[in-house]
Amino acid sequence: MTFAQYAWLVPLFPVAAFAVLITLGRGAGRQAAWIGTLASLVSLILSLCIAGERLSGTVDEYNAHFTWLQIGNYSLNAGFDVTNLTSLMLVVVTLVSFLVNLYSHGYMRDDERITTFFAYVALFTASMLGLVLSDNLLTLYIFWELVGVCSFLLVGFWFQKPEAKAAAKKAFIVTRIGDLGLLIALLLLFWYMPGNALDFSSIHNVFTTEAGVIAGGITTLIALLIFLGAVGKSGQFPLHVWLPDAMEGPTPISALIHAATMVAAGVFLVARTFVIFQASDAAMTTVAVIGGFTAIFAATIGLAQNDIKRILAYSTVSQLGYMMLALGVGSVSAAMFHLFTHAFFKALLFLGAGSVIHAVHTQDIREMGGVGRNMKITAWTFGIGALALSGIPPFAGFWSKDAILTAALTHQPLLFWVGAVTAFLTALYMARLFFMVFAGNPRGEAHAHESPAIMTLPLIVLAVLAVVAGFVETPFNGWFGEWVTGEKPEAHTSAMVIVVSVAVSLLGVYLGWLIYAKGTVRRDIVSSRIPGLVKVLENKYYIDELYRFILVKPLGGLGKALAVFDEYVVDGVVRMAGQSAAGLGRLNARLQSGQLQGYALTALIGLVIIALAIAGRRFW
Amino acid sequence: MLENIPVLSCILLAPLVGALLVLLLPKQQGSWHRVTALVFSVIPLVLTLWLFASYQTATGGAPYTEHFTWLSIPLSRDLGQDISSMLVNFDYHLSIDGISLPLLLLTSVVSVMAAIASVHVRKRWKMYYALFLLLETGMYGVFLARDLVLFFIFFELTLIPMFFLIGVWGYFAREKAANRFLVYNGLGSAAMLLAFLILIATAGFTAVQGTDGVQIAYSGSYDVLLNNIADPNAYANMDPSQTGDAGLHLSEGLKNWAFVLLLIAFGIKIPIFPFHTWMLRVHTEAPPPVVMIHSGVLLKMGVYGLIRFAAFLLPAQLEDWSTTLAVLGVINILYGAVLACVQKEFKLVLAYSSVSHMGIVLLGIASLNEIGLQGAIYQSVSHGLISALLFLIVGTLYERTGTTQIDELGGLAKSMPFLSGILLTAGMASLGLPGLSGFVGEFLSFLGLFGSMKWLTAIGVLGVLLAAVYVLRSVLGITFGPIPDRWTDIKDARFVEAVPMIALTALIVLLGVFPSVMTDMMQQGFNGLLEQIQQRAGG
Repeated sequence: MTFAQYAWLVPLFPVAAFAVLITLGRGAGRQAAWIGTLASLVSLILSLCIAGERLSGTVDEYNAHFTWLQIGNYSLNAGFDVTNLTSLMLVVVTLVSFLVNLYSHGYMRDDERITTFFAYVALFTASMLGLVLSDNLLTLYIFWELVGVCSFLLVGFWFQKPEAKAAAKKAFIVTRIGDLGLLIALLLLFWYMPGNALDFSSIHNVFTTEAGVIAGGITTLIALLIFLGAVGKSGQFPLHVWLPDAMEGPTPISALIHAATMVAAGVFLVARTFVIFQASDAAMTTVAVIGGFTAIFAATIGLAQNDIKRILAYSTVSQLGYMMLALGVGSVSAAMFHLFTHAFFKALLFLGAGSVIHAVHTQDIREMGGVGRNMKITAWTFGIGALALSGIPPFAGFWSKDAILTAALTHQPLLFWVGAVTAFLTALYMARLFFMVFAGNPRGEAHAHESPAIMTLPLIVLAVLAVVAGFVETPFNGWFGEWVTGEKPEAHTSAMVIVVSVAVSLLGVYLGWLIYAKGTVRRDIVSSRIPGLVKVLENKYYIDELYRFILVKPLGGLGKALAVFDEYVVDGVVRMAGQSAAGLGRLNARLQSGQLQGYALTALIGLVIIALAIAGRRFW
Repeated sequence: MLENIPVLSCILLAPLVGALLVLLLPKQQGSWHRVTALVFSVIPLVLTLWLFASYQTATGGAPYTEHFTWLSIPLSRDLGQDISSMLVNFDYHLSIDGISLPLLLLTSVVSVMAAIASVHVRKRWKMYYALFLLLETGMYGVFLARDLVLFFIFFELTLIPMFFLIGVWGYFAREKAANRFLVYNGLGSAAMLLAFLILIATAGFTAVQGTDGVQIAYSGSYDVLLNNIADPNAYANMDPSQTGDAGLHLSEGLKNWAFVLLLIAFGIKIPIFPFHTWMLRVHTEAPPPVVMIHSGVLLKMGVYGLIRFAAFLLPAQLEDWSTTLAVLGVINILYGAVLACVQKEFKLVLAYSSVSHMGIVLLGIASLNEIGLQGAIYQSVSHGLISALLFLIVGTLYERTGTTQIDELGGLAKSMPFLSGILLTAGMASLGLPGLSGFVGEFLSFLGLFGSMKWLTAIGVLGVLLAAVYVLRSVLGITFGPIPDRWTDIKDARFVEAVPMIALTALIVLLGVFPSVMTDMMQQGFNGLLEQIQQRAGG
């Protein structure tokens, strides 16, 4: 027996918890929510066992599948794969989910719909686990959509707030644009793959050993369409607009969405189908460019935001850009490494932000300040998270960012510099965030107090991970990448990369300290000189407005125009036909007595006459 | 146990018996009528469930088939010397196969749910339930009949009760809606009758050499037509110069005409753009339980008719017209979806969404392969369940609020968490969320069509995105946001309302998770058609 055989149980526990909680409903009370937490704990333990088994290196990769749907000679399968990559993802997802679960007992304790909340979280976790385990693209697509809908439910959890309603709707619709791409890619693969296979191992074989079976143009198209799905899910430009708005959900959910579920799905998808991308240079370049652009683009917006969660949201968009950049320059291991470390420190930052919001009841960093004095644990752990995100050694983010920048330098030097500038911006906006919230004097009215232990405990665990997780792969010890991808990574020690990335990060932190803590540099140094730039950044480059102008309004206009067309032209023609028929009817009215029997008889006679006429035609 | 009784006739006639019984019951006893209607709707449900469970794909519908001559009209004019008899035969022929059985099951499920949902009907119960049961018999007949004339009669039989159910029990503009319903469907019936007569007069002709001469018969039997059209030696396929009678020849032109007429006849029912405006009015004006039947089952009669007669009898024409059909399907999808995005009345959103979803069915049919064809039937069944559920919710909602204008509602998840949860689930099913039945039907239809027409599929897939827009816009408009004061005290669904909702939701989930419960039998139903299409492709 191996643990891998029972991997299907990992998502099943949360599903069971979801079923129980949703059936119990609102009346179940706060204690029922522990069912969800228990399920995530069991899943976590099982995932750890599976990962431990993979680490020991004694068992083979495991696959099990069955026929979900058989149509003639075509069969659609469902199944799961246990590989190093999937077992890593299992651990990340269940660990973050478990910690978020714990934290939510504190954060959501006064919400009357707390059982519903935990039910949704359980389903969300289960869907992500299913996605991770899927052994073929169709199963993955199914869970992919379920992840999307769970995220929608949780973003809109406080459904009475109009902002939450709008954000939930936006999250669902915008990511669905990407989903369409994935769906069409799925259709293409089904009809172009030999044997209509959709499983990842067949895809791997076809695109590596049997290159040329699928024409180059089609390969590029498939890769780009898959990437479109990833762009939607992982909040890459230009479909990033939903992710910052998704901050309307409860903060633990933001942590879950931004760390382990949902946004990670896009990166995971590209990593899982990476052979298709490798077969197309155009697709690789697109991924790298979109990733690099998103990284720097989102970082600049993050500089000008004042909502603590929105700053973190844009930082997620930016960091996901890094991961895409890594994939685009061919380094799956660097992307997965950053996904791995980012999961911990981003979950940490969001939960820390939640702890602050819980205490001061505002999300505007201009109304905070001096919070660190009363919230020591939150301040320390948040600080660790911020340093990790800023790429200061020896925290986790440094090592993974270094891996990405090294890969970029080797393949796309221009993108390396984009990444370096982004690293500077990242350090700057995180320093701004940290100092404005935790340093200085209180600016708001509420008195901050530390959160209960059930909320700080997850913070401490994540802080520890944010310190140590990076050591699984350093320039001196490339173990992680080989384990995850199965390929020996290129020698990637580059003194220049380390020097540049440390220098820009330190510079960013230092500048932030000068501006926002010490006050030596005036805050309006930029806004007073180029007011237009700050306005553009505050308005997020007007991308939302652009969409409203080129998509939403025209669609509404088209709809209204068609409504008029439908009412007066399509229906009108029939009305006219009907009126002329009515005129004919009046002529006929004299023949009619108004009795139902009479009509029936006439109709019957008519029918018989027609039948006889046609049947007997040849004899007349 | 049930082998020796005519199950199909029992299914067909049980509601009719119920209708007669309702008419005999005293007028004042509303609950008696309701219980009778329910009982006589449950009987077919039990029987179809039994059929579903015992159906063997190897033997098909043969063990259940009931076939005898119903009407035999002798034509005795001028019999030639070799001709011993000349008859027009109309058969009472009922059968099932993998295509009709899922739809039969859909009919029985939706009928029972609609019968339960009729609890809100407040006037003239007796007449209501009698017509309701009559409508059921008509629907069962449509899916069971294997004789063109019998089919036509049942098809017409559904019109009469529907006309009255809309016109008497509907909302404000009910009479107008009923009239519009009748005008359009009357037109469709005329086209269907003409097409059927063309087919019967040509392909329905058989001549058998008997001892005292040739026995000539015209038959409306589906099997006879199917065989005669497929058989190159049948009179219908012979050149007039061989038979000396142009009247019997089912020429390519005539086939084409028959196909177009059938497309119009069933296209009105489905409905295909631009024939859809009548069903918008039915959706808004008819009482919700009747819309459950209408949107859930009656539209699918169009799909069934198109597949059963147009596709199976005239596969060559289906192939010729498949691109047109796919274009029409794409128009339906996008036109319906865009219009659903701007409606203010929830019932109209659902009506246009039906137009859009039925477009997906057309894509499935146009694909000409087994994946798409199964997708078409699957989508029909799935849409039937989903729209029945949605109109069940509409009925429950209207009962409390007196309005289904999206602007006037809002925040109902606060006061009606259960109903809102079901509405959200139904909405998700409607926009094709995996795990619910809508996804399977859509996915198979798209997958099938993609094999033959890639660009059209890619355009049609946009409908999935628009579905997310209109579903979320309307469903969230009703359930999310701040709740207006006047709706804070309304009560959630009662037990009697909740039971059918849960049942339908459970079925939607079941079909979404285990599609093979239906696809295996459907496969067998399409085998014959696929062979014909492949033969043509090969030859």
